[in-house]
Amino acid sequence: MGWQAFRISVEVTAVATVLVVVVGTAAGLLLARVRFFGVQLVEALLMLPLVLPPSVVGYYLLRFLGAGGPVEALLKVNVVFTWAAAVFASAVVALPLMVQAAKTAIRGVDPVLENAARTLGSSEAAVFFRVTLPLARRGLIAGTVLSAARALGEFGATLMVAGNRPGHTQTLPLFVYDAVQNQQYGLVNLVVGLLTGFGLICFIVIGRLEPGRTK
Amino acid sequence: MTERRLTAEIHRRLPSFTLDLSLEVGQEVLVLFGPSGAGKSMTLESIAGLVTPDRGEILMDGRLLFRRRPGLTHVDMPVRKRGVGYVFQNYALFPHLTVLGNVRYPLGREARAQERALSLISQMGLGPLADRFPHQLSGGQQQRVAIARALARDPEVLLLDEPFSALDPGLRERLRGDLRALQLERGLVVICVTHSIEDAIALGDRVAVLRDGGLEQVGAVGEVFRRPSGASAAEVLGIRNILYAHVSSATADRITLDWDGVALQAPAQPFSLKESVPVYVAPEDVKLLYPDRPVLGGLAANQLAATVTRVESLHGMRIIKVRLDNGHELEARGADYYYQELDLRPGAPVRITLRQEGVRILHEKGS
Repeated sequence: MGWQAFRISVEVTAVATVLVVVVGTAAGLLLARVRFFGVQLVEALLMLPLVLPPSVVGYYLLRFLGAGGPVEALLKVNVVFTWAAAVFASAVVALPLMVQAAKTAIRGVDPVLENAARTLGSSEAAVFFRVTLPLARRGLIAGTVLSAARALGEFGATLMVAGNRPGHTQTLPLFVYDAVQNQQYGLVNLVVGLLTGFGLICFIVIGRLEPGRTK
Repeated sequence: MTERRLTAEIHRRLPSFTLDLSLEVGQEVLVLFGPSGAGKSMTLESIAGLVTPDRGEILMDGRLLFRRRPGLTHVDMPVRKRGVGYVFQNYALFPHLTVLGNVRYPLGREARAQERALSLISQMGLGPLADRFPHQLSGGQQQRVAIARALARDPEVLLLDEPFSALDPGLRERLRGDLRALQLERGLVVICVTHSIEDAIALGDRVAVLRDGGLEQVGAVGEVFRRPSGASAAEVLGIRNILYAHVSSATADRITLDWDGVALQAPAQPFSLKESVPVYVAPEDVKLLYPDRPVLGGLAANQLAATVTRVESLHGMRIIKVRLDNGHELEARGADYYYQELDLRPGAPVRITLRQEGVRILHEKGS
């Protein structure tokens, strides 16, 4: 049954990371390059999940995804206590890390290079994909790794909005919680070791991506 | 071939500064000349579409690139469609692409992009460097890549922002020559921003003197430098110490110039035998002499009598204008402390010297 939690964690983390990378990079680009009224408010809202208690984030997600919420109204499905809700929870708590990483990485790209690309015939999309993205690559990859690590480690909001259903929404962190309750310390040690190792590897990878290091 | 023509009328107001000028450029090199902050770069950016003027009109061969006028529909063609080549001040090469990647960049998925890029690269003498990255190139090589890249889509207009500022003098001279050749060969409309007098004279057919966002004077280079209209243009041009002389004799290691009756010794350098050649002496190379102190080697040759006309102090520098016996004025600059003990009241007689190595013959375009 540990394997089920492992599989669910990998799947949830993978899907959440894809979501976070796309949304976070777009938000980072907006914050780094576009001047608009209320930019600080938008940034603050995006950063909130970093400081709010997991229960508060979970509650917001319940209202957002659950009965009477906008997602149900729009899609006619209630995803609470499903795998999709676990993805949402992981994505929301990981998003601030990606937004910050993307913003910093994109700010580090000299806007003159983007202007040069425009004078060379590039559309705005081409400027982004051929100049900004490749030059912000290191920071974006670091942000992706960090977001994935955070998504994998998500516990509180997931518990509230996706529940702890073995084989459905029980991810590794929830599995550890159950296993401790049941005093299955052998399993606990194994999974804890696995999660700790993964976290360490993530930070080593991020350290290697820091600017100033040659590959 | 019909004459290409770019006209630009640009008005842009910023909190601290207003750019307001109109220019007309044919198939020639127009040098935009002026101190930093005069609006030179902003003029180029407006033409390229990188900044948007508040009012004005920019036309290339009747093609409307930009128009914002009361009562007329606004036109603001996107940068990518303007067909304007731009060489940025620090070249703005893409650091993640090789020389070939940079020059290929504007060609996108065009057929034979690779061949065209390679042929441009070899035309610019960069053949062996095609696989290098920008950080592996010298400043002069980077500049060539930037020019090749800007020309890849066959623009009719080429804008250059301080293209030579980061290069050493020998290289500047060569690249200026290359740029002139390119302009002729391709019939380009070229606008080149510079604050260097030497670049302006060597490169320009015409020069537009810019100051505080407005044009002081536009005209043929020879005209503007010989007869700047008004003291302000002269000040912008820094032409205080450009003098017109002719070469009266030359040996292997020195040239003697006749400057309206005053003989000047200059180091050996290329020169033309024309009636008058422009000669530049940087104000730092004009020294006032203390009567009781010995004059050292390089300063001994060009000692002249003069009269002080004006003295200013600026940031620890003393700027002294003197009038010579032949009626011309020169400007000298030196550290405040150095000239403290010298009588510098206007009207005071002084002896000056022009450092021999500092007497430089300028090369006008085409000479």
